[in-house]
Amino acid sequence: MKTLFVLTVFGGGLVHATLAPALRIADVAPDIPLIVVILLALRRGPEFGCVAGFVAGLLQDVAAGGLIGVQALTKSLVGFGLGAAGGRLRVTQPLVQVPGLVLLTVAEGVVRFTLLQLFRFPAPFGELMTFVVLPQALYNGFLGAALVFALAWTDALKERAT
Amino acid sequence: MRGVLVLGTVVAACLLLLTVQTRGHSTPTAEALAFITTPIQSGLAKMNRAAVNVWSTYLDWKNVRAENRRLREENQQLRVESLQVTETAMENQRLRRLLALQQRLPLATLSAEIIAREWGGWVRSLTVNRGRGDNVARLTAVISPEGLIGRVMEVRSGTSVIQVLTDPASTVGAHVVRTRTAGIVEGEPRGTMRLKYMAREGGGIQVGDLVVTSGAGGVFPRGIPIGRVRAIDDRGSALFHYAVLAPVVDFARVDEVLLLTGDTRHDVAAAFPRDGGG
Repeated sequence: MKTLFVLTVFGGGLVHATLAPALRIADVAPDIPLIVVILLALRRGPEFGCVAGFVAGLLQDVAAGGLIGVQALTKSLVGFGLGAAGGRLRVTQPLVQVPGLVLLTVAEGVVRFTLLQLFRFPAPFGELMTFVVLPQALYNGFLGAALVFALAWTDALKERAT
Repeated sequence: MRGVLVLGTVVAACLLLLTVQTRGHSTPTAEALAFITTPIQSGLAKMNRAAVNVWSTYLDWKNVRAENRRLREENQQLRVESLQVTETAMENQRLRRLLALQQRLPLATLSAEIIAREWGGWVRSLTVNRGRGDNVARLTAVISPEGLIGRVMEVRSGTSVIQVLTDPASTVGAHVVRTRTAGIVEGEPRGTMRLKYMAREGGGIQVGDLVVTSGAGGVFPRGIPIGRVRAIDDRGSALFHYAVLAPVVDFARVDEVLLLTGDTRHDVAAAFPRDGGG
């Protein structure tokens, strides 16, 4: 379990640093660690989601070279919140997955912006939402849904094998 | 309860980190965390570069393959075009020679294109795209820039059939240019020609001598090259002897001809080359 956690969170964070530039579409890259945190939170619950979000966010903060702790905090909140609400959501439906991931990314962006305001972050909110958060949210939505579908398919194959 | 505790710890850790940084201790914190993550990050970056290299090699290979296919098609196309250009150039050359001959000849002529060939041993004929509509008459002489081809044996509405010199039924009055020895050129079933009925006395013909039309009979103008002596068949005490001729015209390859439609009582020897018959 711990190995899986380390591999998933570290892998997600570092894959983001290396693979995200390659996945860029029209200068928009997906937030792979956020997708990983969401998937983990849905499968493992709020505590797991919270710790996964913290570690993944921390790694991103270190890699990005900004204020360490901002993404750790936002992602841990997203992980906890989704882990807690996951049981009540029909997350296997693609119609839920795509908008859900979009909304979560936007929520994470809003929380991050609010937090950064404490440290006098200069970028205007509207511009940030239009050109950074919303495009990334859409990308996350589709990529995350594809990952959910791939995981479900893998699980089905495993079940059939056993 | 445990979940709230975990969340509280995490939030507290984050806020602590942020507070430490705002108090001016950001560098040691970042360095400590980077110390752990940098080696893993470097390793993954190397793997990423290797994967990207493999991918770009594959893409290059794919592009080279596509380019290779495209170049092959282009090469094929260019070959066809080159053949067409060569063919056109050769046709142009042939037509120029035919036109030059037409202008040199003191006769009325009609150019024609060969549209069919009959090459069996029984009959050797060519069909041209000129016929009754072009006022072609039977027995019209047919020539090429190299020499005599034959005569029109059948005239149809849009075509005419030419009896070639090598046709077994073909006979043409001829003489050897150098010795003026007269004879008759006949076609043979095996596709060759023979100069027959040459008088032994006054013969003295040699291999390589040029044989031209004699003009006797009025069908062919005098002086059109027919062939060159390839071998002499001396039959000892016989009254006549024979010579095997090599035609000056390659009947199998000729594509355009001239039909001599006007008065044929002319000596046209000056219009033809004397050196090699072609």
